[in-house]
Amino acid sequence: MTDQFAIRAEGLTKHYGALHALVDLNLDVRLGEVFGFLGPNGAGKTTTIRTLMDEIRPTAGQASILGMDSHVKSVEIRRHIGYLPDDLALYPNLTGRDTLTYFANLRGGVDWGYVDRLAERLGADLSKKVGDLSSGNRQKVGVIQAFMNHPQVLIMDEPSAGLDPLVQREFQAMMREVAAEGRSVFLSSHILSEVQRVADRVGIIRQGRLIALESVSSLRSKATRQVELEFGSPVDRAVFEGVPGIRGVTVEDRRALLSYDGKMEALLKAVTERYDVVDITTQEADLEEIFLTYYRDDQATV
Amino acid sequence: MLATVFTKAILDRWRGMAIGAASLAALLLFAMAVYRQIDLSIYTDLPEAFLTLVGIPEDADVASLAYNAIYNSYGSLAMGGLVIAMGAAAIAGEERKGTMAMLLGNPVSRTHVLVSKAAAMLLLVALGGLVLWAAGVAAPELLEVSVTGIHIGAFTVHLVGSTLFYGLLALAIGSWTGRSGMAAGTTAGVMVLSFFAVGIFPLVEGWEDLAKAFPWYYYSGSEPLLNGIHWGHLAALAAGSIVLFLIALLGVNRRDLRGPSTGVTLMDRLRTSPLTAGIANRLAGSARVSRIWVKTASEYQGLLFVVAALMFGVMGVLIGPIYNAIGEAVISLGEGFPEAMLALFGGGDLSTPEGYYQLESFGLMAPVAVMVVTITIGARALAGEEENRTMSLLLANPIPRSRVVVEKTLTMVLYALTVGFATFAGVTVGSWIGGLGMDVGNIAATSVLAVLIGLVFGALAMLLSAATGVVRFAIFVPVGAALIFHVMNAIGELNDAAWADWSPFHYYLGSDPLTNGMPWGHGALLAALVVLLLALAVPAFQRRDLRQVS
Repeated sequence: MTDQFAIRAEGLTKHYGALHALVDLNLDVRLGEVFGFLGPNGAGKTTTIRTLMDEIRPTAGQASILGMDSHVKSVEIRRHIGYLPDDLALYPNLTGRDTLTYFANLRGGVDWGYVDRLAERLGADLSKKVGDLSSGNRQKVGVIQAFMNHPQVLIMDEPSAGLDPLVQREFQAMMREVAAEGRSVFLSSHILSEVQRVADRVGIIRQGRLIALESVSSLRSKATRQVELEFGSPVDRAVFEGVPGIRGVTVEDRRALLSYDGKMEALLKAVTERYDVVDITTQEADLEEIFLTYYRDDQATV
Repeated sequence: MLATVFTKAILDRWRGMAIGAASLAALLLFAMAVYRQIDLSIYTDLPEAFLTLVGIPEDADVASLAYNAIYNSYGSLAMGGLVIAMGAAAIAGEERKGTMAMLLGNPVSRTHVLVSKAAAMLLLVALGGLVLWAAGVAAPELLEVSVTGIHIGAFTVHLVGSTLFYGLLALAIGSWTGRSGMAAGTTAGVMVLSFFAVGIFPLVEGWEDLAKAFPWYYYSGSEPLLNGIHWGHLAALAAGSIVLFLIALLGVNRRDLRGPSTGVTLMDRLRTSPLTAGIANRLAGSARVSRIWVKTASEYQGLLFVVAALMFGVMGVLIGPIYNAIGEAVISLGEGFPEAMLALFGGGDLSTPEGYYQLESFGLMAPVAVMVVTITIGARALAGEEENRTMSLLLANPIPRSRVVVEKTLTMVLYALTVGFATFAGVTVGSWIGGLGMDVGNIAATSVLAVLIGLVFGALAMLLSAATGVVRFAIFVPVGAALIFHVMNAIGELNDAAWADWSPFHYYLGSDPLTNGMPWGHGALLAALVVLLLALAVPAFQRRDLRQVS
C-alpha cells in the first residue's frame, strides 16, 4: 500500500469483438474520498468495475488498487476491499446471517458487533432467508457484506437499488464516514442527485469513454436548472433579457419557463423589480442534460 | 414467433427435443450398421426367459435388435427425461424463476397458459416421435437390412403416448404444488421404477400381474414393436393422460401462486423451534457455510440421498433376493450364452450371481447413478454460480479461483464415493441376504470402478463448466459423450472391434471385475483421465472472463 491512490486505471480498454465496452479509460480515486462514477445504463460502469475486480481481463491497459495490479495481485487486493455487485444475487436458501457467516469464513475474522450495528442502522433482518426478502431488504444484506470487513476501498455498483429513501440517507452517511476515516469509496450510479450528495469528485462515462472528471461543485455549476416562475400578472419576456445564464425562455401569460445556470439571486433580482412573484419551482437538470453539455464540450474540443 | 404462450413454449424447448431425437436416430443407424455385420444365429437359440428379460423378440433380426437396443431403453428414457423437464418447467418452473407473475400480468388466464404449454408439449413429443419413426423406417432402407414383422409405427405411437403420460404427470405435480424440483424428481422416480418393475415382475412367479400397476406396462407390455398397436393399452395411457391434465388444470387454478421464494424445509422448522434451535442452527447455519465445499455439499444433499438410497436399496439389497427368486429360471438358461452379446446390457454371465448383478446393477445403473451426481455437481458448481450471479460475490473474497475449483471438485469426489459406497454396501448386503456368496473385495473393486467412470464424465462436466460457464453445455456434452461411449463400448465388444478400447467404459467392466477383482491398470487409467480433466479445469477457469448473466 505504497501508492497514494486507492484505485488507478491507465488506458483501460475492453473489447467484446466489435463492441468497444471500454475505451482507454484513465482515472484515479484518492484515499479518503468518495468517487462518483456516473453514466447512463450500458455506458461501461459495470465493465470497469468487473475489470477492477478481476472478473474480466482488460483488452489493453491496466488497473491497480492500493498500488497492486488488479490481475496479478487480485487475491491480495480482495483482502482490502468490500464489493457490492450490480444487480446483487445471493444464495436464496441461506438466511442473511448465514450468508454473512459464509463470506466471513472465507475472509477470516469479521467483527460481529460491527455487523449487528450495521444491521441496526439499515434496519436489516438477518434471520430471514434471503430468497424470501424483498429486493431492498436483500440489498441491505449486500451492503452489510461490503462494509463488514472495514475495507480500505469500497467498490459499489448501483448500490442504492431498491433501498427506500430513509435507508438511502443512512447508507449515504455510512459512505461519508468511510471517507472521513481516510478510506475510499468508488460509487457507480446513474442517479445524479445521489452522486452529488455523497461524492467528492465525479467521473462521467459515456459509451465506454470517460468524458469528464470533475469536482462535484463544478459539476453542479454546469448543471442547468429548469426554473418555472409564476407571477401575479401577465409577464413580458423582455424582463429576462440581459440576465446572464438564462436560456430558452418560454412565456405563457403569467408563467415563465426557462433554463438557468447562474446564481438564483441574480434571477430573482431581475424579475422582482417589475413583477410580483407568486411561486417558484426549480428542477435539477437530469443526467442526460449534463451529458449533452459535456458531449457538446467534447465535440467542440475535437 | 413470441406471439403466444404456445409458440414461446415451443421456442424454448424445441432444441432439446431436436437434439434428443436426432441423437437417437443416429445411434439407431450406428447400431443397425454394427448388427448387420455380426452373426445373429446366436440369438435364435436363446431361451425365452432370457430374451424377455433383456427385451429381445424371439425371432430377432438385425432391425429388431437395433430398435430394441436403442429405442426401447435409451430412447424411451431419454424422451421421458426431456418431456419431464418440459412438464416440470411449464408452470412450476416459471413460478420458481419469478416469470409467472409477469406472464399472468397480461390478460391471459391460468387455464390458457396451462393449455398452451400442454399443447406445446404434445406437439414437440409428436414431432420427436415422427423423427424416430422416420429414422426407424429409413435406417433399414439405407443399410439394406430386411425388416419383417416389425411395427415401427405402432411402436412410436406407444412411445409418444407413454412419453406424454410422464410429461403430464410432471405438469400435474408442478401445477398442483408449484415445485418444479418435486415435479421432476417424483416423475423421474415413477418412470425409472416402473421401467424396472415391468422388467422384473413378469419373471417372478405369482407376481406377473403386479407389472400392470405401472404405467410402463402400457407402453411395452404388449410389445408393440412385434405385435402392433394394443388399443386397450393406448386407451389406458390416454385416459391417464387426460386425468392428469384435468388434475393440472384444477391444481393451477385453485391455489396461490408461489413467488420466486424458497419454501420451508424441515431444517427451517427445527431452526425456529426453541427446543431444537441450537443444534439445527449449527447444522443448517454456521456448519453449512463453514467452507465452500461444505456449502456445495449441502446444496446437493437431497440429490445424493435419493441416488444413494436407490443404489443401496433397489439396485443393491433387492437384487439378491430377486436373483434367488428367479435364479432357477436364469441358471437353467445354461452355458450357451455368448458373453459378448450381453455387453449391451452391461455384460455379465447370467448363470452366476455376479453376472446377474452386473446386468441389473453395475452395467448401466451404477455408472448412471454416479454420473447423475457428478455431472450435476460438475456442471452446476462453477457455471451454476455464474448463471445465478453469485460467483462475483464469492470471488470478491480473498480466495483464488483455483480454490473454488478445488473445493467444488472435492464435493463432487466425496459424493461420488458416497454413491459408490452405498452401491457396495447394498450389493454386499443383497448378496448376504440372498446367500449368493459373492466376493466382497470384488464388489468393492467394481464399486470403485463405477465411481471412477462416473468421475470421468463428472470431471468433463467440471472442465466444461470451468471453461464456458454455461450449465446447459456442461450437462449435455458429458451426457452425450457418456451415451456414445457406452454404446460404442457395448457394440464394439459385441463385434470384437479394437475401437471399443477407446471407450472409457471398456476400462470399467471390460475385465469383469465382479468376478476377477480389481484391474489395477484399468483403474489407474480411469483415475489418470479424471485427474487430467480436473487439472485442465483449473487454468480454464482462471484464464477466462466471468460471464455476465442478467
